[in-house]
Amino acid sequence: MISKNLTAATTRPIILSILKQGSSYGYLIIKKIKEMSGGRMEFSDGMLYPVLHRLEKDGLIQSNWTVSDDTRPRKYYEITEAGKQALIEEKEQWQQVHAVLEKLWNVKPSTS
Amino acid sequence: MFDLEKAISQWLRSFRKYRAFDHGSVREMELHLRDHIDDLIADGISEKEAFETAVKEFGDIKQMAFDEFQTQKRKPTITSLIQTAMFKNYSLITLRSMMKNPVSSLINLFGLSIAIGLSVFAYAFAQWVYSTDQFHEFKDEVHLITYSANSDGNLQVYGQTPRPLGEMLKQDFPQIQKVCRLEDRNVVVKYEDNVYHERVRFTDHEFLEMFTFPLKWGNAGSLADINSIILSEEISVKYFGDQNPVGLDILLKFDETRSKVFKITGVAEKFPVAKTIAFGFLINFQNLSAVDQDYNFHDWTKLVNATFIQIKDPQHLHEISEGMEKYKLIQNEATGHRMAISSFGLEPFATLHKNSDDIKNHITRSSSSNYSSIVYLVCVAGFILLLSCINYINIAIVSAAKRLKELGIRKTIGASKANIIIQFLTENIVITLFALVLGLALGMTLFIPWFEGMWGFSMGFSLARGKVWAFLAAIVIITGLISGSYPAFYISKFQVTSILKGSLKFGRKNTLTKAFLGVQLVVATIFITLSVAFTLNTNYLKKRSWGYENREVIYVAVQDQAAFEKMQAAMAQDPNVISVSGSSHHVGRKHKTTIIEFPDRQFEVNELAVGDNYVQTLGLTIKSGRGFNSDSESDKRAVLVNETFVKNMTLQQPIGQVFRIDSTQFEIIGVVRDFHSYNFAEKVNPTILRVAGKEDYAFLSMRITKGTEHDVYKNAQSQWVQLYPEIPFNGGYQEDAWGAYYETIDNYAEVWTLFASIAIILAILGLYGLVKLNVEGRIREFSIKKVLGAGLPGIVDGICRQYVLLLAIAITIGAPTSYFLVKMIFGMAYAYHMPLTFEVILLGIVVLIVAIIFTIGTQIRKVMISNPVEGLRVE
Repeated sequence: MISKNLTAATTRPIILSILKQGSSYGYLIIKKIKEMSGGRMEFSDGMLYPVLHRLEKDGLIQSNWTVSDDTRPRKYYEITEAGKQALIEEKEQWQQVHAVLEKLWNVKPSTS
Repeated sequence: MFDLEKAISQWLRSFRKYRAFDHGSVREMELHLRDHIDDLIADGISEKEAFETAVKEFGDIKQMAFDEFQTQKRKPTITSLIQTAMFKNYSLITLRSMMKNPVSSLINLFGLSIAIGLSVFAYAFAQWVYSTDQFHEFKDEVHLITYSANSDGNLQVYGQTPRPLGEMLKQDFPQIQKVCRLEDRNVVVKYEDNVYHERVRFTDHEFLEMFTFPLKWGNAGSLADINSIILSEEISVKYFGDQNPVGLDILLKFDETRSKVFKITGVAEKFPVAKTIAFGFLINFQNLSAVDQDYNFHDWTKLVNATFIQIKDPQHLHEISEGMEKYKLIQNEATGHRMAISSFGLEPFATLHKNSDDIKNHITRSSSSNYSSIVYLVCVAGFILLLSCINYINIAIVSAAKRLKELGIRKTIGASKANIIIQFLTENIVITLFALVLGLALGMTLFIPWFEGMWGFSMGFSLARGKVWAFLAAIVIITGLISGSYPAFYISKFQVTSILKGSLKFGRKNTLTKAFLGVQLVVATIFITLSVAFTLNTNYLKKRSWGYENREVIYVAVQDQAAFEKMQAAMAQDPNVISVSGSSHHVGRKHKTTIIEFPDRQFEVNELAVGDNYVQTLGLTIKSGRGFNSDSESDKRAVLVNETFVKNMTLQQPIGQVFRIDSTQFEIIGVVRDFHSYNFAEKVNPTILRVAGKEDYAFLSMRITKGTEHDVYKNAQSQWVQLYPEIPFNGGYQEDAWGAYYETIDNYAEVWTLFASIAIILAILGLYGLVKLNVEGRIREFSIKKVLGAGLPGIVDGICRQYVLLLAIAITIGAPTSYFLVKMIFGMAYAYHMPLTFEVILLGIVVLIVAIIFTIGTQIRKVMISNPVEGLRVE
């Protein structure tokens, strides 16, 4: 099980990454996260929305309500150019963290 | 049975507790929940279980709300945008309501802008006074040397110094960086055809290093050269126009026989306006020996006008003033303990202009009267500001009656109390800002130029300085809050229901409005009384006798006995000249300070050495005893004294009393009625008149036939030009001896009249606004009264009743207050003023009552000529 704190830290890059693959709405985004993590991320559905709203206010994503006849109205979120830029930065940072941990864990115990 | 819809709507309701979620967000989450439940049901779970799982997975709403709230707070731009939009809206409403009630708006705007204009003026004046002498780079290091001595039983500080002290200080104290002495002499300056009487300043070359007077042309160091002279810009323009005079020679005639040519080596830049020390001509101190061959620089019994020292390190001040104790002994030994010095002191130059009133015989101009003027001005500006704020409050409260519906509707559609307060404060700030612009314009184009024109100087006020804006901002905020907050809070308290029902009655009977009006009337009473008192007193002073025939006397300054005799012979031909007398001093022009010694005490008195018929020529009145005999030889040891002398010395029998001056004994032969040598702002000093030797004559005075002043003056002038074409004529009408004194007191009266006019206009405007609104609000009542047959008395009674008591109370408070204020201010401002009677106060009150009757009268007239049918048709 992935801890709450770590989950909270990752929601931003995860949401941006999901939206980069195509616009989506809240329920679908959460469903995707749950599927991909195999339910191992400790995640309450409600926590997603403040993050989405924050991202929208920061201008990284934008939203619009879509109404069609056969389904319920949905609030679709779409990544902006600024959002893509932010994702690249996030990606770099996560890769750096990853690289550090990788190095630390791959070093063999000292033989001296 | 489980009802899904009911459960969802119940779940949604829990969101509403938190204001963080707007409608869209709640809807978004509702859809989320529904999608989730649909999916779960599709997996084959019961509705109830699906709902519970979805809710559980959705998580804690409280935490969510907190996160959402943080998001909103982080970016407050949206809310602030809304607020600015609201302010814009409020400002528009303000403008509209201003347009709709032009009278009230004008009253408010006019009052506030005048008050702000006055404040700007007071600020400019204070700024000017506080900047006095502050342009000197070393103002904190330069000190004036003073000494204290016992005078008439009091310790008096003097600004002069014993002659050798400057040089001694330089030798004895290495802590002192620089020393300069100052001495002034009257000379005749000649350059080509320009010949003028001038005052020349003798000083050490350090003067221009210690005081910051940069030169426009030439070299400041040249002052060390005994043959150099440095001019002020004003003098340079007077003699040479725009030409650079450096290198030219100019002649200084010290007296008939002594003169010297100086080379101009420098011209100073224009001096800043706010200064207490300046110069026209500067020459080296050593030149004093050219003026007077016997001038002894080392004589401890003689004084120089001033000695300044510069000390870099303030820590040394104490050592120096302690070290100066030893000079006291030398000095007192030299003078034989006459007017013994009790201590020396150091007066910092930076604050000298504030303190120099307490120092006698100092060379700098004092600005302490300016400091008291600042206090007056601040009081006046503050009171006027208060008056205009009160007007604003009163009119705002009363005219809110007209806007009740607007308020009611605002409140109904959800305006909170805070909204209403903000709306009214916004209105107020908009008006105050308008007033600021107008007030600034008034101050800068009216008050300041008027004042500067009246006194003939420039205060150097400029908006370019940052502090001015801080001051203006403070004025706007303070004015806005004082005038705006009470109406805003008062009005916002109204209940919507009672407003819309029309059952709310207010404004008309508001006690606070009345109290405010009362305060205004009190202040107006005080201002009017002050102004009346000042104007009456100015007239009184204009008529007050000088104690002699100042209108029928002409004087001419003469350089020596020969000049006197030649002029006397020439003027004796003029049939309009009744008598001619010589003197070495002259009333209003020159006197000597002398120490007289009774066996048991010493006094400082003014001495006038005069010719034997001087008393008759000037028209001084002998009260008792006799005047000088025309055979002046026999009266060489006789003196006349004035009444103040007798009073101050507490002499029971003045005639025959003897005292000594410099060990010579004199006898009092007569008492002269008190006369004003200098203007009425100065107390008459104890004065003695004694017979002058003809060789010391410096003035010629003529008593002339009334109405021939101008002819005799012209004649004297032309006689002089024939006798002494080289020396400028220096004479005048005795009437003009006090210079611009009468203009000055006229100015005072003018200033106070302006203040009083503003105060009364504001009070009347406020009253007018209140009465007008009151009458408008009661138009139906008056119409019914008229229909039922009420005549003028009934209407007058209806309108005036509430104001009569108020006016009575205001006068009861205002009259005694103004009496004491006038008494206090007169005591401070004038040495002599008219006897203060209650008529002065009464006159002030009458002016006020007439103005009030006129104001209310306009409204009564309006009611009287109105058609009651129209009045009753009002909705």
